[in-house]
Amino acid sequence: MSRREAPLNRVVMALSLVATATWLALPLASVAPNRIVPGTAHTATDLLGWPLALLACLPLVALMALSRRLDRVRCHLALALVLLLLMALPGWLAIASQWLVDPELPQARLGIGAAWWLSLFWLSLMLIELRSRLALVGWRAALLPVVVATAWWLQGAWLGSLALGQELDGRRGDFLEAVVDHLLLVGGAVGASLVLGALIALAMRQSPRVERLGFAVLNFLQTIPSLALFGLLLAPLAWLAARFDWLSAIGVSGIGWAPAFLALLGYSLLPMVRNTHVALSEVDPGVLEAARGMGMGRGQVFRQVRLPLALPVVIEGVRITTVQAIGLTAVAALIGAGGLGSFIFQGLGQAAMDLVLLGALPILAMALVADALLGALARRLDHRRLASPGGAP
Amino acid sequence: MIELKGVTKRFGDETAVDAISLTVKPGELCALVGTSGCGKSTTLRMINRLIEHDEGEIHIDGRPIREFDGRLLRRRIGYAIQSTGLFPHWTVARNIGLVPRLLKWPAARVRERVEELMGLLGLPVDQFADRYPAQLSGGQAQRVGVARALAADPDILLMDEPFGALDPITREGLQAELRDLQSRLRKTIVFVTHDMDEALALADRLVVMKAGHIVQQGTPLALLRAPADDFVASLLGGDDRGLKEAAITQVAERMLPLSPRLLPQARVHRDATLRQALAVMFREHADRLAVVDDEAMPIGELSLRRIVGAGRDGSGES
Ligand SMILES: Nc1ncnc2c1ncn2[C@@H]1O[C@H](COP(=O)(O)OP(=O)(O)O)[C@@H](O)[C@H]1O
Ligand SMILES: [Mg+2]
Repeated sequence: MSRREAPLNRVVMALSLVATATWLALPLASVAPNRIVPGTAHTATDLLGWPLALLACLPLVALMALSRRLDRVRCHLALALVLLLLMALPGWLAIASQWLVDPELPQARLGIGAAWWLSLFWLSLMLIELRSRLALVGWRAALLPVVVATAWWLQGAWLGSLALGQELDGRRGDFLEAVVDHLLLVGGAVGASLVLGALIALAMRQSPRVERLGFAVLNFLQTIPSLALFGLLLAPLAWLAARFDWLSAIGVSGIGWAPAFLALLGYSLLPMVRNTHVALSEVDPGVLEAARGMGMGRGQVFRQVRLPLALPVVIEGVRITTVQAIGLTAVAALIGAGGLGSFIFQGLGQAAMDLVLLGALPILAMALVADALLGALARRLDHRRLASPGGAP
Repeated sequence: MIELKGVTKRFGDETAVDAISLTVKPGELCALVGTSGCGKSTTLRMINRLIEHDEGEIHIDGRPIREFDGRLLRRRIGYAIQSTGLFPHWTVARNIGLVPRLLKWPAARVRERVEELMGLLGLPVDQFADRYPAQLSGGQAQRVGVARALAADPDILLMDEPFGALDPITREGLQAELRDLQSRLRKTIVFVTHDMDEALALADRLVVMKAGHIVQQGTPLALLRAPADDFVASLLGGDDRGLKEAAITQVAERMLPLSPRLLPQARVHRDATLRQALAVMFREHADRLAVVDDEAMPIGELSLRRIVGAGRDGSGES
């Protein structure tokens, strides 16, 4: 055996199998005459009939065939197929909306079914697998979600009866405000924790006692459940706001943005301080010795060597903190901090899953975007990785 | 000129360097050798005040180093280390230009100097100037390290096992280049190594250290011929010492003018070492060799008797 056989790719094989089963067995969409009445579920086979539904499975079957010997060319083919399937996903909903929703009923709404969500999930996993097989990084990797998002956007016009869209229609203003509130809270908390975290990390470098104490406190903060922390902040903040007029004037009270901000800050500090501290401590001692040996002063070594070399790891901390804060801010809606979480809790209260989605989907998107952007930034700043193939100038 | 007088350094209870005295003359390459942990690096780093000495005096060009500001002193002294310590986030050109920029040279002069040094160390500018250290081989990175140490044209160069992490072939290539560079630049160099062959190949003066003390110092030949004790003898290679001596003696030093006798077939180049001459004899089953010049023209001859017999006092047959 001298020829190297491209191996069977179990991930793609398994995912396309599961996707096919999901597609054929689970409901693709549900239709309800209005928001109150529970909808009736329709599978793809109900909707399209067996022959068409099976025909729609062909790309998945092709993926299974490709995965049996996934060399580079087939990998590209498979990637194209997965992309096409992903781009076509809203199309199924559009068809369902055309065929199932009675135009006489303006209140009628289309719910997205399990088969649709799961297909999205399986296809995304396949996309990630193929992307890493092909070692796509940088702009080419970023292009994939952009292509899919654009395709979805273009199909948006046919989806008027989608329950998600109808929930949004009623609250366009609220939605925008919630997005802005969410972003402000996350941005503010991450920004403040970056500044404060850097200061704490610097103080820790001065003495081991400060270091031990600092990590003890931050670790403890991290163990308090988020709701409990909000609760703990309620009383002292309310008291402070009552004591100092200027505090209440800028909106500080036991509930609202102030306790949410403080709690987010508390949770963000640990990852921020830990990463900054590790980053600053773990700069190659040989590089630092050379820097001093060349006659650089302490400040020069810190600014020109230690800090820039630590930066990728610090940004990594910002990434973790940001993704975490985007999620936590959803919980903060419970204490009236606003943000997208308020849709989630309203939706849960009214058992309106589409309203929950209206809050959850943008949160998911924000987290993914923040993760991708900050991850890319950290990689860009890390010159040690330039040694990898394709990194030449 | 570097002078150490009774210099001692302690780390806590441990005495890393114990009252050593040492003079390195201008233009001399002094190699510090000894087993790991014997205080070589500590000695080196006291000279540029990366570490402050506890006792004794260190003078550079007649002035005690404590009179200088540490940073300014270090900018005047080249420093190259085993791990290269190149800044991974800076390009090769920027790394090399570090000290000149610290000295506030105008940008144009820095660029000129960087290009000059890259030429000197065999790093084509168009190919290497914009690379990052991660994109260099070990040997290339070490060249950049040496170029950086030479950038501000210091009189003194401190090198701490600069070739220690390289494969033997690359290492020997760089040793040859350093010897060549040194014959042109005539820096005062203190060179730390635990590789005795490297020390013998490069040093004008060899300093053998053991547990913070200097056991013996002198020219490589002097040490090879008369090691002070068993430790120095074994460090110098035990019974291999003879071959090591042959390896640092050139054929030209022992060859005799052409005699009327028939010229032997086996030949050796004038610039080869006696060790290489012995290898040729062994391979060719010959006890006489013709010595040739660059054009392969015979210019003398060398006999086995001449190689081994004349070794003791240099008079031999005449
Ligand atoms: N910064 C330091 N702190 C404590 N001990 C040190 C330090 N630097 C070196 N030493 C000790 O001093 C001794 C000599 O070290 P070094 O000069 O690095 O040896 P060498 O370079 O000859 O291998 C060793 O025992 C080492 O452990
Ligand atoms: Mg050492």
